[in-house]
Amino acid sequence: MKKSILKILSHLILIIFSLIIILPLLWILRNSFTNKLNAYKIPPEFSPIIFDNYIEIFSKYPFDSYFINSFVVAFGTTIISLPLAAFIAYAFAKFNTGGKQLRLFLLSTQMIPPIIIVLPIFSIYLSLNLLNTYLGLIIAHITIILPFLSWMLISFYSRDIFMIEAAARSDGATRFQALYLICLPLIAPGLIAAGLLGFILSWNEFIFVLILSGKATSTLPIGLSTLSTHRGVEIALLAAATTLTVLPALILLPFIKKYLIKGLSLGALK
Amino acid sequence: MKYIKILFLVLTISILSFSSKAVTLNAIMENVPDTHFIKELLPDFTAKTGHEVEMDIMGYGEMHPKMVPSLTSSTGSIDFMPVDFYWVGEFARAGWMMPLDDMIARDGFDTSVYFDSMMKLVGEVEGTTYMLPFYNYAMGLTYRKDLVADPSHQAGFKAKYGMDLKEPTSWDEYMKQVSYFTKNGTEYGVVNQGSKADPIAMEWSNYLYANGGRFHDENWHGELTSDAAKQALKDYIHNLQDHGPVGAASFSFDEAFNVAAQGQAYSYLTYNWFMPSYEDSSQSAVVGKMALAPVPGNGSLNGAWGWAIPTSSPNAEAAWEFIKWVESPEIVAKRALMGGAPTRSDAFSNPEVLAKYPHYDALNRILASAKNFPVFTYTPQFVEVMGTELSKAVIGEKSIDDALATMNSELEALAKKDGVYKN
Amino acid sequence: MSNNLDLSDRRFGYILTAPTVLIITLVILFPICFSLISSFFDYTLINKSFNDFIGIDNYINSFKDEQLFNSIFVTIYFVILVVLLEFILGFFIALLLNSITRFKSIYYFILLLPLLINPIVVGLIWRMFLHPQLGIFNYLLSLINIEPVNWLGDPQMAFITIIFVDIWHQVSFMIILLLAGLSAIPKEPYEAAKSDGANIYECFIHITLPYMRPVIVVTILIRLIFAIKTYDLVYIMTKGGPGDSTDLISYYIYRSAFISLNLGEAAAMSLILLVIIIIITIPLFKYMNRLD
Repeated sequence: MKKSILKILSHLILIIFSLIIILPLLWILRNSFTNKLNAYKIPPEFSPIIFDNYIEIFSKYPFDSYFINSFVVAFGTTIISLPLAAFIAYAFAKFNTGGKQLRLFLLSTQMIPPIIIVLPIFSIYLSLNLLNTYLGLIIAHITIILPFLSWMLISFYSRDIFMIEAAARSDGATRFQALYLICLPLIAPGLIAAGLLGFILSWNEFIFVLILSGKATSTLPIGLSTLSTHRGVEIALLAAATTLTVLPALILLPFIKKYLIKGLSLGALK
Repeated sequence: MKYIKILFLVLTISILSFSSKAVTLNAIMENVPDTHFIKELLPDFTAKTGHEVEMDIMGYGEMHPKMVPSLTSSTGSIDFMPVDFYWVGEFARAGWMMPLDDMIARDGFDTSVYFDSMMKLVGEVEGTTYMLPFYNYAMGLTYRKDLVADPSHQAGFKAKYGMDLKEPTSWDEYMKQVSYFTKNGTEYGVVNQGSKADPIAMEWSNYLYANGGRFHDENWHGELTSDAAKQALKDYIHNLQDHGPVGAASFSFDEAFNVAAQGQAYSYLTYNWFMPSYEDSSQSAVVGKMALAPVPGNGSLNGAWGWAIPTSSPNAEAAWEFIKWVESPEIVAKRALMGGAPTRSDAFSNPEVLAKYPHYDALNRILASAKNFPVFTYTPQFVEVMGTELSKAVIGEKSIDDALATMNSELEALAKKDGVYKN
Repeated sequence: MSNNLDLSDRRFGYILTAPTVLIITLVILFPICFSLISSFFDYTLINKSFNDFIGIDNYINSFKDEQLFNSIFVTIYFVILVVLLEFILGFFIALLLNSITRFKSIYYFILLLPLLINPIVVGLIWRMFLHPQLGIFNYLLSLINIEPVNWLGDPQMAFITIIFVDIWHQVSFMIILLLAGLSAIPKEPYEAAKSDGANIYECFIHITLPYMRPVIVVTILIRLIFAIKTYDLVYIMTKGGPGDSTDLISYYIYRSAFISLNLGEAAAMSLILLVIIIIITIPLFKYMNRLD
C-alpha cells in the first residue's frame, strides 16, 4: 500500500516536471502553425492552422541542407568519438595510463573559450583545404567532444566490471575480446548517455561550424540564427524550424529504450 | 585616327574577352528583405554578364565573425561584401577593402546620386572611395497617424497644450505628444528599444541630435557632457520609464516593434525599414495606421550598408561588375518597388516608387537631414561602451552625469588610440 | 590496481589512449600555444602580426579592467547557482525515474527535447515567452491577478531569469548522465540489503551514493565547465544587461575578440579564465583522486 502511494507520488512529480519542460515546447509548436501577428497576440486567440512556415523554411531558406549537414556531422562525430572515448576511459580506469596529468590535460583543453581556439584552426584548415568540408567539421567536433566523453565513461568502469573481465580473461579471452565483449556491454548505459550527449553537443555546436563551414556544410544552428534578422526575429519560422530540430529525439528513442530503460544486472552477464 | 580605332577595337575585344570569362561570385549577405530582392533579380545580372552569384545568407550577428577570418587570410573566399557602417573604420584601417576610385572613374559611375552624408558614412574614408552605398537604415519617427488625425484627440491635445496635434517637427512638441497619448487612445506614448549595445545606443543617438547635441567636435573632443546630452538622457529615461511599457529597458528592436505592431504604442523611434513590416498584415495589427517622419528636431540618425570588394577578392573585376549592376538606376528602382530601402536619391523621386510607398517621401527628407554616428576604427567598441553606460543610467545604477562622463572619456580614449583625436 | 602493471598491460593502455591523445593534440595544441604566444603581443584582428611584443601588458590590462572583474563575479554566481540547482533537481528526478518502470521512456523522451534545441533558439524563444506585454508568461500571471513581471529589464530579475532558462534547458543534461549512472548500479547489493531489512533511505545512503559518487563528480565537473563557457544565452537574451548584471565572462571574451578586435587581450583573459576554472575544479579533482 505504502509502496503504491510512493509510486503514484513519483509519477505525479514526474508529470509536473515533464509539463514544465514540455509546455513551452508545445507553445512553440502552436506558434509554428500561425503567423507573427497571432504569435504575439495577447490574449491568445485561436487562429486558423497554416503550414506556410514549414513550406517557407524549405523554399526560402535551405533548411533541407542544414538538416542533412547536421545529421552527417553529428552522426560522424558520435560514431568516431564513442569507441575512442570508451577505449581511453578503459585505459584510464584500469591502467591509469598517463596518470592524472593526462586526464587533466584532456579536460583543460576544453576550458578555453572556443572563440580563441577557432581562429588558429581556421588558418590550419585553410592551408589543408579542410574549410567547408564535413571532414573538417567532424574533426573539430571530435576534439571538443572527446575529452568530455572520455571523462564521462571513466566512472562507469567499476571494480565489479573489471572482476568479471578478469574472470573472462582467465577463461582465455584476449585483452581486446575482454574489453569488447565483456566491458563495453556492461557499461552500455554510460555509452548510450555519452553517445547521446556527444550527438547533442555536436548538433548544437555553433562557433566552430560558423567559422569553419561554408554554404555547403552549414548546420542547423547557423540556419536557425539566420532567422534572427535585423528586421526582427522571424518567430513563426523559427518555431517551425525548432519543431523540426527536436525530431531526432524520435530517432534516438528506440536506442534509449533498449539499453537505458531496462537497467542492467551483473548477474545476467556472469 | 586609324590607330585610335585599332586601339579602341583591341580594348573592346580585351574587355569583351575578359568579361566573357564567366565566374561565380561568392558573397556573405545578411538575411534582410533587400538581400532576397537582389537574389530574385540575379538572373538579370547573369544574363547580362554571364557571372553567377552565390550568396551565403546569415544573421547579422554571425556576419562579422564569419567574414573576418576570410578577410585576414591572403586567399579570400569572398568576392564582394556588404559592409555595415559599424565596420567601415575597422575594415579601412585593416586594409580589407579595395579602393574603388579607379574603377569608378574608368566606368564613369556617378556617385553624386548619393547624399553626401551617405557617402561619408558608407562610401569614402579619408578621401578614398572604398564602397558604394547599398541600403539605408536611417532612423525616423514612426507614429500612429490615425490617432493624430482623430478629431477628439485633436481637440483634447489643443485644450491641454494649446497647440495643434500634427506630425511633430520640434522635439518639445513630440515629447508633449508622447505624454498625451500615454494611457489615452493607446497604452503607451512611446516604446523604446532599451536593450544593451546597439538598440539603446542607436536610439539614444536620435535623442542626442534632437536635443541639439553631438558626439564630438571636429578634433574628436568629446561633447557628451554637454547640457544637450544630459537633457537627451533625461528625456530618454523619462520616456522609457513613464510613458513606455514595463521591461522596455530589455527590449531589442524586435520586442519594441511588436509592441507597436500590436497597436499598443503611439510612437516608436526606429529604423525606417519597419514601415513595410507595419503594412504586412501577417505581423501587424496597425496596417494603414502608421506614418514615418524625420525624428523631430532634425534628430534622425543615419545608418547604412555599403558594397565593398575585399582586397583578397579572387574576382575583383567581376565583383565590380556586380556592384555596378546592383547600384544601377534600373535595379535600384526595382529593389525599391519590391520594398527595399535603397540609398540612391533618384529612387526616392521615382513616381512609380512614391505611388507604391508614400513613406519614401519622408524617407527622402530623413536621409537629406540625417546625421552620422562617429565612424572610426573603434565604432563597435564605442557602441558597446554606450550600451553599457546608457543601460546603467536607465536602470538607475549610475547617475546621468556619471554615465555620460564615462562615455565621453571612453570616446576620447578610443579616438586617441585610433589617431583621429587632435589636440 | 595500477601499481602492478606488467609491460603488456601498459602497452595495451597506450594503444587505447593514443588515438584520442593524438587527435586532441594535433588539433588543439597549436591553437592553444598560438593564443598563449599572442597574449604577449599587441595582436589584434586589424594588425595580425607578431611585431609588437608587449610582455605582460595584456594581463595587466585585464587585471585593471573593472568590467572583467564584474563579469568574473557574475560568472561565479551564475555557475554555482546553475550547477547546484541543476544537480539537486536533476538527481532527484533521476532517482524518481530510476525507481519507476512504467512510462519511463515517455518521460525520458520529453526530458531529451530541450537539449536538442540550440541555446540561441532557446534564448530567442524565451525572449518571446517572457515579453512583458506580449508574452504568454505574463498573460498567464495576469489571469491570477499578478502584475506584469519585468523578466529581463530589471538587473536582479534578469539574472534570475537567465538562471531559470538555463535550468529549463540544461537540467536534462544532469538527468541523463545521473540516470545512466543509476542504471549501471548492479541490482545484487539492493537485493541483499532488502533481505537484511534495509529501508529506501538506508539503501540510498549505503548503496546508491557510494556507487554514484564518481559519476556525480564527473557530471558536476563537466556541467561546471559548460556553465562557465555559457555565452549564447546571455548574448541573445540580455546582451549582458541591463547594466552589466548578466555579463558572463565567456561573452565578455567573445566581445573583446570580435568587437574590440583585441585577440591578444582576449587570449590573455582566456588564460586567466583557464586558471580560474582550474582553481574552482581542483577540489573536485582532489576528491576524485581520493575516490581512486
